[in-house]
Amino acid sequence: MSIGRDEVLHVAKLAELAVRDEDLARLVGQLNRIVDYVAQLNEVPTDRMAEPFLPGPPAVTLREDVPGADALARSPAELAPEFKDGFFLVPRHGAMEDQ
Amino acid sequence: MSTVVSGAAAVATETGKRLAAAEGLNATLSWSQDLLDAEATRVDSMAEPGPLAGMALALKDNIVTVEQPSTCASRILEGYVSPYNATVVGRLRAAGAMIAVKANMDEFAMGSSTEHSAFGRVKHPLAPDRVPGGSSGGSAALVAAGVVPAALGSETGGSVRQPASFCGVVGVKPSYGRVSRYGLVAFGSSLDCISVFGRTVKDAAQVLSVMSGSDPLDATTVNRPPMRVPEPLQNLRGLTVGVPREYFPPDLHAGVAAALRATIARVRELGGEIRELSLPNSSYAVPTYYIIAPAEAAANLARYDGVRYGPRRIGPEGDIRSLYRATRGQGFGQEVQRRILIGTYVLSAGYYDAYYKKAQQVRSLIAQDFRRAFESGIDLLLTPTTPTPAFKAGEKTDDPVAMYLADIFVCSVNLAGLPAVSIPAGRSEGLPIGAQLIAPAFEEERLLAAAAALERVIPAAAEVR
Repeated sequence: MSIGRDEVLHVAKLAELAVRDEDLARLVGQLNRIVDYVAQLNEVPTDRMAEPFLPGPPAVTLREDVPGADALARSPAELAPEFKDGFFLVPRHGAMEDQ
Repeated sequence: MSTVVSGAAAVATETGKRLAAAEGLNATLSWSQDLLDAEATRVDSMAEPGPLAGMALALKDNIVTVEQPSTCASRILEGYVSPYNATVVGRLRAAGAMIAVKANMDEFAMGSSTEHSAFGRVKHPLAPDRVPGGSSGGSAALVAAGVVPAALGSETGGSVRQPASFCGVVGVKPSYGRVSRYGLVAFGSSLDCISVFGRTVKDAAQVLSVMSGSDPLDATTVNRPPMRVPEPLQNLRGLTVGVPREYFPPDLHAGVAAALRATIARVRELGGEIRELSLPNSSYAVPTYYIIAPAEAAANLARYDGVRYGPRRIGPEGDIRSLYRATRGQGFGQEVQRRILIGTYVLSAGYYDAYYKKAQQVRSLIAQDFRRAFESGIDLLLTPTTPTPAFKAGEKTDDPVAMYLADIFVCSVNLAGLPAVSIPAGRSEGLPIGAQLIAPAFEEERLLAAAAALERVIPAAAEVR
C-alpha cells in the first residue's frame, strides 16, 4: 500500500498540521518507508485472537467523587499575563488579527 | 575531581562545578546553582533526611516541576512552566533528593539518539562524534559523565535502557503501573514509564524504590506496596536464565555478541542455569510499536494547538483551524510531525483494522511469548540491550526505520509492560555495551538482585574479546 501526496495532505489536515510544500516530497517518501515496514504484521495470523493485551491493573482504581479543584503550586495570577477579579484577561474577540 | 563530599550543601556545590564542566555535552536544558543551593538548604534542614539524603538527581525534561520549565525539548513548549509537580518529584524530595537539573532529550521522547531535540543534540561523553542514545540521552550522559549519581528518564519503547547501554551506565525500566505517570508528559499512555539511570544497580534501585507505589492521581498504578531495595545475591544458584535465540541474529555486532557470551559465562560461574528458548514474535515488536506508539501520540499531542498549550501562530486563513495548523506546523520538529502523521493515518477510518487493530493483536502475542517463557520455569531473560554500540551522529537521521531498529531488543518489554534492566557488560573499541535482564511483571526485586550480582563480576570498562 502506498501513500501519495494528496493522502499525506489529507492526513495532515486531520492532524491539524501545516505541512510546508518543500517538506512534502520528503514526508511522502518517509511515510511510505514506515508504512511498508510495518506492513510485515500482515504475515502474523491473528484470526482467532482473544481480547487485546493491556498492561496495568486488572481494574482501574477510581478516586472518591469529591468535587473540587486540585491544588496548584502557584496562584492563577502567576499562570497568565493578566488576571483580575477571578478572571483571566484575554484579547477582545476579533482582535487577534492585530497581533 | 574528588567524589567525597559531605552534607547536601557540599554536594550542591560540587554538582554545580560538574554541570559547568559538562556544558559541552549539551545534556541539560535548565539548571542553576541557586536552585541547587536552595535544594541543599531544604535537605540539610530536614528532621529525617530519608534514604536519598543529599543525592542530586537530573530529570528528563518531560517530568514536570514548578520551579523550572518543562519543555520536552520542543519549541512548542519553550518556556512552559507546570503549575504542579509530578508525583515522583514530591516523593524523591521527601526522601532527601535534590532536584534542580532538567536534562535534554529527543523532542517529546521521540527518538533513539537525542538528535531530535529542538535545542541541539547531546554528545556521547566518551565519543563526542557519537550519540548517547535516546530519547533520554541527556539523563544518560549526565550519569555517565559523573555529574549526578542517578537520573530520571522515561521509557515508551526502550528510551532508558538503550541510552544506558550506549553510555555504559545502569538503566532500569519498572513494570507498567509500578511508578505513577502523574506529571510525566504523555506520549504513548499504554507504554509510558518513568525509569531510572544509575552509576550502579544499587543507586538506581534506591531511586526506584522511593518513586514506586500506587498513586490516586494515576489510575493505572497498581495497588502494591513500594518496591524494596533488594540485597544483592551472592550467587545465582537456583535461578534459570533464559536466552532467547531471536535476540542473537547472525548479523549481531561482533563486540555485542562477545560481551553477551561473556555475560552468559558469568551467569554460569555464579551458579545460574542457562536455558535457550524461543520468543517467536520478537521480530514484530518494532513494527507493532511503531503503530501503537504513534497512534497514542497523535491523540496525546492534540492538546498542543496554540490555545491550550504552545506559542500561538496565526495561519494564512486567519481562522481557528489555520491557527492550530500553523502553531503545530511551526512548533513540532520533523520526527514529531512524522509520528503524528503516521498515528493519524493508522487510526483513520479506512486503515484502523489493517494497522491499529492488527498491532494490538500482535502486541497480545508478544506479551503471550513472555508469559509462556516465564511459566515454563524461566526466572529471568538475558539479551543484548542494543544490536550495536553507540552509532555516529547523523548516521541514521535520514532513514526513520533505521533509527527505529536501534530499539529492536528493548521495545518488546514496553509492549508487554515488564520490568527490565540494562547493565554495562564491557566495551568494544572503547564503546560501552549493555546486557539486558527481563523479569516477570512486578518482579523488580528479583531482577535487580540478580543484576547487582552480575554487576559485581563483570569488568564493565574492559574490552570484550
